[in-house]
Amino acid sequence: MATKKKVLLKVIILGDTGVGKTSLMNQYVNRKFSNQYKATIGADFLTKEVMVDDKIVTMQIWDTAGQERFQSLGVAFYRGADCCVLVFDVSAHSSFKSLDSWRDEFLIQASPRDPENFPFVVLGNKVDLEGDRVVSSKKAQQWCQSKNNMPYFETSAKEGQNVEQAFQTIARNALKQESEVELYNEFPGEIKLTGEGSRNNGGDNCAC
Amino acid sequence: MTPLPSPSEEQDRLLEEASHIVKTQSLQMKRCLDSDKLMDALKHASTMLSELRTSLLSPKNYYELYMAVTDELRQLELYLVDEFQRGRKVPDLYELVQYAGNIVPRLYLLITVALVYIKTNSSLKRDLLKDLVEMCRGVQHPLRGLFLRNYLLQCTRNVLPDTPEDEGDQAEGTVRDSVDFILMNFAEMNKLWVRMQHQGHSRDKERREREREELRILVGTNLVRLSELESVTRDKYKKLVLPGILEQVVSCRDAIAQEYLMECIIQVFPDEFHLATLTAFLKSCAELQPGVNVKNILIALIDRLSLYAQKNKEFNTLFETFSEQVASIVQSRIAMPAEDIVALQVSLINLALKCYPDKVDYIDKILQTTVETFQKLNIERVEYNTPVSRELTRLLKIFIDQYNNVLTVIQLTYFAPLMELFDFYGRKSVSAYLISNALTNETLIPTSESVDSILTIVSSLVQDQEDQPAEEEDPEDFAEEQGLLGRFVHQFKSDIPDQQYLILSTSRKHFQLGGKKRIKHTLPPLVFQAYQLATQFSALREEDEMWSKKCSKIFRFCHQIILSLIKAELAELPLRLFLQGAMTIGSIDFENHETISYEFISQALSLYEEEISESKCQLAAITLLVGTFEKMSCFGEENAEPIRTQSALAASKLFKKPDQCSGVCTCSHLFWSGKNNQGEEIRDGKRVLECLKKGVRIASQCMDMSVQVQLFIELLNHYIYYFEKKNEHITVAMLNQLIGKIRDELANLESNDETEQISKHFTNTLFHLRNRLEGPPVEGISYEGLTL
Repeated sequence: MATKKKVLLKVIILGDTGVGKTSLMNQYVNRKFSNQYKATIGADFLTKEVMVDDKIVTMQIWDTAGQERFQSLGVAFYRGADCCVLVFDVSAHSSFKSLDSWRDEFLIQASPRDPENFPFVVLGNKVDLEGDRVVSSKKAQQWCQSKNNMPYFETSAKEGQNVEQAFQTIARNALKQESEVELYNEFPGEIKLTGEGSRNNGGDNCAC
Repeated sequence: MTPLPSPSEEQDRLLEEASHIVKTQSLQMKRCLDSDKLMDALKHASTMLSELRTSLLSPKNYYELYMAVTDELRQLELYLVDEFQRGRKVPDLYELVQYAGNIVPRLYLLITVALVYIKTNSSLKRDLLKDLVEMCRGVQHPLRGLFLRNYLLQCTRNVLPDTPEDEGDQAEGTVRDSVDFILMNFAEMNKLWVRMQHQGHSRDKERREREREELRILVGTNLVRLSELESVTRDKYKKLVLPGILEQVVSCRDAIAQEYLMECIIQVFPDEFHLATLTAFLKSCAELQPGVNVKNILIALIDRLSLYAQKNKEFNTLFETFSEQVASIVQSRIAMPAEDIVALQVSLINLALKCYPDKVDYIDKILQTTVETFQKLNIERVEYNTPVSRELTRLLKIFIDQYNNVLTVIQLTYFAPLMELFDFYGRKSVSAYLISNALTNETLIPTSESVDSILTIVSSLVQDQEDQPAEEEDPEDFAEEQGLLGRFVHQFKSDIPDQQYLILSTSRKHFQLGGKKRIKHTLPPLVFQAYQLATQFSALREEDEMWSKKCSKIFRFCHQIILSLIKAELAELPLRLFLQGAMTIGSIDFENHETISYEFISQALSLYEEEISESKCQLAAITLLVGTFEKMSCFGEENAEPIRTQSALAASKLFKKPDQCSGVCTCSHLFWSGKNNQGEEIRDGKRVLECLKKGVRIASQCMDMSVQVQLFIELLNHYIYYFEKKNEHITVAMLNQLIGKIRDELANLESNDETEQISKHFTNTLFHLRNRLEGPPVEGISYEGLTL
């Protein structure tokens, strides 16, 4: 059964506004970059098929709004994520400091089965702005190590640097996570004793 | 009886129930797919989708359910794409799913299947997209309709045609078809969203509006989609996209929708697009409903574009466009509160300062507009700590901070009129801010004109105001504020001495009006500035033949100022200023300087006699007087003698005996190191001894033995001093006598801390003498016969 199944991996990208979440996704999925800033509102995904260890999987990458006010419906889309990507801007210290709260928020809202071992990947973006860098590679690595050894990549969505490698790791770690969860979810079909009566689930009786 | 579940518990239960059904149905759907039973799978999918027909869930919970359902639909989509790609095409699938009983599941399935068709045969794209966006009209329930269309938007994200109009394939469609598709979906979603406002009971209005706020991102996603189309060039945005959006926004006549969507436009489209369509966008702002907070929209746009323009300097007309449009919007919106209008001006100032830092006239124009706005609104006074006052303060502080130069600030014609709008406390607060800024930046004020304008602007600190409240201010706050002003006086500085004189007399005119409680803070620094100026003129005597006259003018100026302080019932302060003045005058040998200096000293003496009554202060004043006079060398004997005698007399008339004793001892120095007008010490040993003897006599009259011994030891030190200065009237016998006397009485003192201190002083004095006795002999001094 598992062999026939198509694998769909859900990846969530989080981070402060303006760190380049949308640009990273666009660079990875469409190999395009634009300097124009357009804010993301709500959450949207793009899909991409990738090979992970000779296996084709579909990666569903959720790009999210960094500004809380653009998340008015809440973060129900965290549910069922197989990997969470935390992005900061190496030229903005505050975005690095926010990583903690993004991680905590994700673990609370997504409530994964085994939060300790849930896969995160950290991306320090905008390394093309080397002159403006304020978060050193070492400092970022130290933080990642302290958080159960999260993989860390320094990327440039603008120049494409390290983006492919980062998402390979993301896909591989997501796949590992996904198969564990699947294993857990394999349970035999339910045997129904009552008939499948139509549910009255609305206040009105309209046909739609 | 079990209590009724709370609404949120009820919501949780409903969501849990629905989620459970979604879980079981999706599992069955997947099992059927695995065993290639497509029709059964579709049936389970349809049952799962039926859960989205609910009207009972709140938007957030519905969103959660929607997420769970659409996650599962993706599995169906993956399966179908796979089947299609393998050539196992299911005939008539698109028609087949239309048999689903209810419209909500039917349309979700239809969208899912259509997407599979498009993905496997792009020639159907154009027609299918049109078909779907039309068919979704079938769901008119706002919540269900919004989410259904959101699903449509999500599914079609990757397949929207994005080729320029003249290049695309007819069947696949071009960017034009995508724009039409999204604009139509947007219009429909917006209508559903607006309709929510008008459904249900009016008591639920608040909840409804909250729910609408939650749902807004669904509507806004359409705009995001438009901004993602690469073939939408700036030109196409201007001609096709923005007019389409604005048409819908303006015509929906709903304040919540308008405010959100306008802000959304600003956020999701790039700066270049906004710059190309500024006028159109701002014109639409003027047409929005009265309830819309246009201020926020404008500020968001101005702030975003000023950041951009700061980096790309070529946009010269940005400021003009904004200020014109803002003015016309303000005019068209009668109900706009004053603080909002001012907040807009704050944004304009930010824009002007960021993009055109050198153009002071832009700032003045904004200030002028602000002043005129208040005139139009018939507001003459703005009360402190109200929203308007806070915005107005922000407005002024922004460029004070940016320029960091008071002189630039006072160049603004409309700064002063704006200050006038504030009430007393508001004016004081801004004034203090302005002066602190000058102090922090050490800004020098180099002309009398600028001093005049600044002191006029900050007049609420300088003098009493008509609108000043009757009650006294907190004395500490008041002193702090006046201290600020006092420090500021030292920033009044011109390199040209004549200009400096003008500056000082202008300042005096202002400060003189400050009244008793202010002048003690503001006038003394002025006097010190004047003393410095006189020294400056004296140094320039080679170049300025009028220097002597100018010096005497300056001291007359100071004299008047100090007299005005006396009128304000101050005594010690003017006394010190007179003494400082006398000394300065004495050091500059201009014409008449002796007479003027004498006048200053005698003023100080009469202040001492008439105004200073507390004994501690008296002793301090005498000490100061003697110290000053001892340093001076401008007096001939006929002037010096009365002062010396007068001082000694005053000292001997001090109220308390110990003070008398100390005072007389201090005065003795006037007769020794006091100078004649040749600068030589007069060394009148006999008069010195008279003073000291008088001191001993007074000390003997002290009843408190411990005080008496202390005084004797002090006297002994004076005797030793003069002995070592070779005053021949002081003899070893006198020293011996005094030492013996001290010894005797010290033995009678009760032993305590104080006595210990006194003994220590005495021992140290004797130790000094012993050193002298045993050290190498000094010519002219013989310690012979000294008994220690």
